[in-house]
Amino acid sequence: MERQSQANSERKTEEEFFKPSRATRVFIIWRKLRKSKLAVAGLGIVLFMSAIALLAPIIAPYGPEWSGAPSRAPPSMDYIFGTDAAGRDMLSLVMYGARNSLLVGFGAVFIEIVIATSLGMTAGYFGGLLDEIIMRITDVFLTLPTTPLLIVAICMFSARGIFVMIFLMGVLGWPFMCRVVRSEFLSLRESTYVEAARSLGATRLRIIVRHILPNILSVIIVLATMDIPWYIFYEATLTYLGFGDPRSASWGVLLEKGYLYMQSAWWMITFPGLALLFTSLGFNIFGDGLRDALDVKAR
Amino acid sequence: MGLRDYVIRRLILIVPTFFLISLIWFALIHLAPGDPVQAMVAGHPVDRELMEQLRRELGLDQPLPVQYGIWVSRLLTGNLGYSYISKETVWNLISYRIPYTLEVMLVGEFLSLIIAIVLGVIAAVKNGSLVDASCSVGAIFGYSLPNFWAALMALMIFSRWLGWLPSSGPQTPGMEFSSPFAALADHLQHLILPISIILLTWTAYLFRIVRSSMLDVLRQDYVTTARAKGLRERIVIYKHALRNALLPVVTYEGYALGFMLGGEAVLESIFAWPGLGSFMVDSARNRDYTSLMGLGSIIAIIVLVANLSADIAYALVDPRIRYD
Repeated sequence: MERQSQANSERKTEEEFFKPSRATRVFIIWRKLRKSKLAVAGLGIVLFMSAIALLAPIIAPYGPEWSGAPSRAPPSMDYIFGTDAAGRDMLSLVMYGARNSLLVGFGAVFIEIVIATSLGMTAGYFGGLLDEIIMRITDVFLTLPTTPLLIVAICMFSARGIFVMIFLMGVLGWPFMCRVVRSEFLSLRESTYVEAARSLGATRLRIIVRHILPNILSVIIVLATMDIPWYIFYEATLTYLGFGDPRSASWGVLLEKGYLYMQSAWWMITFPGLALLFTSLGFNIFGDGLRDALDVKAR
Repeated sequence: MGLRDYVIRRLILIVPTFFLISLIWFALIHLAPGDPVQAMVAGHPVDRELMEQLRRELGLDQPLPVQYGIWVSRLLTGNLGYSYISKETVWNLISYRIPYTLEVMLVGEFLSLIIAIVLGVIAAVKNGSLVDASCSVGAIFGYSLPNFWAALMALMIFSRWLGWLPSSGPQTPGMEFSSPFAALADHLQHLILPISIILLTWTAYLFRIVRSSMLDVLRQDYVTTARAKGLRERIVIYKHALRNALLPVVTYEGYALGFMLGGEAVLESIFAWPGLGSFMVDSARNRDYTSLMGLGSIIAIIVLVANLSADIAYALVDPRIRYD
């Protein structure tokens, strides 16, 4: 009896000894990430744009509704990015636009993660008919090209607004991640250490939660980071084509309105677009670095 | 199950997948508030009775499943219906526009494939060099570039400011009446901007794939063996490494079609290019149900066939694939 309890406590100590704690794992990943200057730059850009989005009401030089400036004035000391047709400062508009765009990006990705992970794990875990059904549905969405699908889908909503966008993108974007989650789940299920855990008598739930889920998490995080710029891009595209909310301050709206003044007021489309490009760059670079640091082979 | 069975099974599966897609597409289109009649009479004061009569004529008052059934039965006889907006058959409208979309897409895809392979191989072979680094950074840049914004900027700079390139449409009006040679030259000039934008994003995307695939392959043992056998470096790279590295590229090229069709929707709108993409946008705006269904069907078929071809090509080229 004593020998058994001694063996038990020994096993526990071994586990604690060999398995790095969560904090250590994060630290290791952070160290790998730091090695790539590009990845750090990407993270810097992401944090910078997020800060601008969050702090826009505080740091924007003029309020979003304020329109006391001369209409269509070129960039100057007072109005660094120039003004638009209604006399609003472009710099402030771009800052407030960051709020919309980043909100859409993060919100849509959140919905996407929730749906894709649950459906993907379900498909992988249960297999059989449920798996087939889910896979056929993802097939349908992956076959149709995204922009036309989004256009047709957004016409479904008579209300236009940012939450419609978030909902729509999340709901139409999950198929790809779902497939990846499912295939990762399936391949991880066959891996050696899961086999070992099973032979040690671990319950299926424990295997899923403690072994499979953390590895799927890396894939999900990388995929999510690379998807955010796409959602921001699609939101801008849809709004530019006129299917968005013309009253919001997103970058797409700025581009839509600026298009008319392309010849006379180049700053009206240049700066929102540059902001879009800059944000996308940040997320993509960071996502690349994250993928290398987490050593993810998917995609 | 061998390759032949796999192909047959996939070919058979295309039919139900296509109908599932058309069903979902139909539901999406018809769930939108408003209908073609509203779009047709937009702005004009028309009484409700006339609108209801129009709806009856067009068969829009039937329950949705019935409408879908009618559409399917017409489809099976090869009839895609009439566009509500332009009073032409959907097939005429689509077939007029297909060449315009295809020429931009295919030329763009082909060119970007070549450029991406060349640059990707160079970057992989000279891994870590300045060439590699600058190409990779350029690729991330091109990949992050919002294509419609790039189109707008290019339009602004090259067309409005510098006046080097024409800004819209596939041809200068009136050129159809001049000599074929001049018309062709004019058309080519109009093609430059749209293709360049497609090149920017697609080359960047392909470059990353070629480069990483090539890097993987160059690390393999058989490449070391080839070098040890004393083969010239160029043969090692092109004959042995590249062939295997191109496998994932083949697959992506197949999926490229679906991707490009989507990206083109915006570009065609910006450049006023009369292709399928701009047709899609206009039809969605006008609630032109029949055109949307026809377009959706054509696109679905194209993408399904393209995906299947990509999978088959991959299976043919890579003998390690298991068919299941």
